[in-house]
Amino acid sequence: MNTDSKRDSSGAPERLLACISGGPNSEKLIRATRRLADQLGAQWYTVYVETPSNSKYTRENSERVWHFLRLAESLGAQVTSVAAMSIVDAIKECASRHGITRVVVGKPGRPRLKDRLFLPIHEKIIRGIGKVDVLVVSLELASDNGRKVRSTAMGKSGLISYLFCFLLIAMVTIACEFLRPVLDPTNMVMFYLLAVVIVSVRLGRKQAVVTSVLGVMAFDFFFVPPRLTFEVVDTQYLITFAALFVVGMVISSLVARAGERAEVLRMREVQTASLYYLSRDLTAAVDIQSVLNAVVRNVEEALKARLTILFPTGPGLDVVVASKGLKLDQYDCSVAEWAFQNGSMAGRGTDIYPASGLFFLPLRTPVGLLGVMGIGFEHEDDYQSQDYRRLADAFAAQASMAMERVNLAKQAEQAKIIQARENLERALLNSISHDLRTPLSSITGVLTSLKADDLNLPDQSRRELLDTACGEAERLNRFVANLLDMTRIESGAVRLKLEPGDVQDLVGCAIGALEPIAKNRQIVVRIEPMLPLVAMDMVLMTQVMVNLIENSLKYSPADSPVEIGAGLGQDCLEIEVCDYGKGIAETELQRVFDKFYRLPVPEGAGGTGLGLSICKGIVEAHNGSIKAENRPSGGLRMVVRLPLDGTGEF
Amino acid sequence: MAGQNNRNSFYKILVVDDESAIRRFLSTVLSNDEFLLHEAESGNAGLAAAATVRPDVILLDLGLPDLDGIEVIRRIREWSQVPIIVLSVREREDDKVAALDAGADDYLTKPFGVGELMARIRAALRRSQQDVPEPVFSSGNLQVDFPRRLVSVDGQEVQLTPTEYDLLRLLVTHVGKVMTHSQILKQIWGVAYLEQPHVLRVNISNLRRKIETDPSRPQHIITEPGVGYRLKTY
Repeated sequence: MNTDSKRDSSGAPERLLACISGGPNSEKLIRATRRLADQLGAQWYTVYVETPSNSKYTRENSERVWHFLRLAESLGAQVTSVAAMSIVDAIKECASRHGITRVVVGKPGRPRLKDRLFLPIHEKIIRGIGKVDVLVVSLELASDNGRKVRSTAMGKSGLISYLFCFLLIAMVTIACEFLRPVLDPTNMVMFYLLAVVIVSVRLGRKQAVVTSVLGVMAFDFFFVPPRLTFEVVDTQYLITFAALFVVGMVISSLVARAGERAEVLRMREVQTASLYYLSRDLTAAVDIQSVLNAVVRNVEEALKARLTILFPTGPGLDVVVASKGLKLDQYDCSVAEWAFQNGSMAGRGTDIYPASGLFFLPLRTPVGLLGVMGIGFEHEDDYQSQDYRRLADAFAAQASMAMERVNLAKQAEQAKIIQARENLERALLNSISHDLRTPLSSITGVLTSLKADDLNLPDQSRRELLDTACGEAERLNRFVANLLDMTRIESGAVRLKLEPGDVQDLVGCAIGALEPIAKNRQIVVRIEPMLPLVAMDMVLMTQVMVNLIENSLKYSPADSPVEIGAGLGQDCLEIEVCDYGKGIAETELQRVFDKFYRLPVPEGAGGTGLGLSICKGIVEAHNGSIKAENRPSGGLRMVVRLPLDGTGEF
Repeated sequence: MAGQNNRNSFYKILVVDDESAIRRFLSTVLSNDEFLLHEAESGNAGLAAAATVRPDVILLDLGLPDLDGIEVIRRIREWSQVPIIVLSVREREDDKVAALDAGADDYLTKPFGVGELMARIRAALRRSQQDVPEPVFSSGNLQVDFPRRLVSVDGQEVQLTPTEYDLLRLLVTHVGKVMTHSQILKQIWGVAYLEQPHVLRVNISNLRRKIETDPSRPQHIITEPGVGYRLKTY
């Protein structure tokens, strides 16, 4: 498609507008405009103006118009169809809206009678359009098959309807016969007019014309003196006949047109309502799936059609939603892909892959194509219907906008989450780098001072320095281990290796691991005898106990004991670690398990802020619970509860 | 101890580790009049050195660039019973168990202290050179008299069930070495009991109650969490 438009001498891009009438010559006009647009490298548009006078042949005409518009579209035009009172005004408005530089109109090769009597339409456009150039393309008048098409006009055709007209006139005549004594013949005309109105409302224009002719004849024959002949003595009645005939014709014409307009309005009303329902449903939809469901539901109802929507996934398109029972075959999918890749409609009812089972149209947003919507109409005619096409277009536009809105909302949400995560990560990094650097600085300090030759340190100081360095190295190692555990727990990489665990063994391991720091402290162990084995990951649970005991040792006076107890609780094994420290403010009891939460301890016990959150992670992975509480006698009590039912498997 | 070595007066130690810092540290620590150090920086070099140098102890890092450490253990075990002590930064107990089951004698998790390393090397050497077990084992307050099947703590005789005695004897014959759960289960109860670890837990717990002064702070039977048990000597 030719979208890169050259510029004319004035610098503005050339834009052509082909105005089609829907007549048989429209195709020629379209092709002529296209050639011209190609030569000029211009964008081009095609417009069809629907006026009250040309909408009278609604169905056939609109189908032909629709066909021409599709043709123009497939040749690269942007097409519009506008409804207006005046063709000239509509074209003028359309031209200024699209920045049209040249309007292309057709002129019949041979002037018709109507054109001789009135100013031909192309002349009207030339005069009314103002400063835009008008190109007039001469069109051979093709054989008037358009009129033939029209001749099968709407309404109930067939003998029955004409029989009905005849019967109606007969009934009116009989009624008038009864009323003859009290009614003047001229007033009987009103009854015949009534019959014409009824027929034009119920049956259509042609029947109405027939009815008025029959009416005139019946009136003349039965009621105008001399009766029972077609002769007319009083020439005044000729005026009555003429009036009856003309009024009948006019009324029938008006009624018929009003009916057609009412039909069009009703259609529009239905379309507007269905669009309204869709937009209402879409407003309520908060995620893509509910948007898709709303679109499917509404299109199914409004168009009586089956629907599918395809989104791009990787190399191809995948069906994300479809009406019940709608299956796409290989061919349909490739048509959908064509529609997606070219960003234009394809499939049944178009000139591209019309053999496809569905009509596909792209879901377009300002930023690009979202996917493709495939519609399978109930009736073959619906594929050709301008109204259905227009409605499908509107649905597609609404759906695209709603999806775009949901996507944007999701992006905004994700951006917010990412921001929050970044903030947290920055805080973590700060904290981690601090925790890594502190022991490293001590170790580096010790090593450099030992290395310095000019510092003649006494042996006692050297030993103290080395002790510090070893302690700090130990602390660094624990921190790194905790950090690794935390990462593994958080990433879900920890797989528990459950084995039957002995609580006494567990406590023993933990105390053993803490030997270096605990050797000068009193640790009291009270374990109920004959406790059952409990399913646990010994390594991780040892880590929990080490962390808990280490905390207790750290946050309690050096001369106070730490008490470890174990016993049976409600369906669980309870392990507690108690100290004689200051305890924690009630409000903080929950928060101690938060990552990088550190108690404000004056002596700066140098924890990692990770220990308890690791404990929580591990215990919860065992389906257990961990709780911190202040003891009535002072100090903190940490309770770990592990479920007993896990032992069943041993 | 050095006198027992009749080839020369040094114990030859082969270090297989790709990190030069660790090799330098080990060579500084171990190059004294007791040990002679050989270095290899990859699994294949280690295998070659093991054949040519004929070391008395191998210190093997599990994370090697070319070969998996466990594969190295397996290949050495095909022809040699030289004590292998695994050094690993990996915290995963599965790796330790796999190394021990493949035939490694002991493991040390990096970072480790020199004292710990020396103790492990000496224990490994002692085990490998002790062809005939001593009839009486004594460590701290624990004494096991094999010919009389007599176990005593602080001079007091302790009554053990046959299984407990077998368990203790197994640990004593591998004193200082970690025995994995599956190794113990296989040797005491048989292969059928490999999936019944609670048998082992209960017996260890009972054994501790009889021979440990404070079962919550075991001095003799040490648990290596997730790996197995080790009998400690004093």
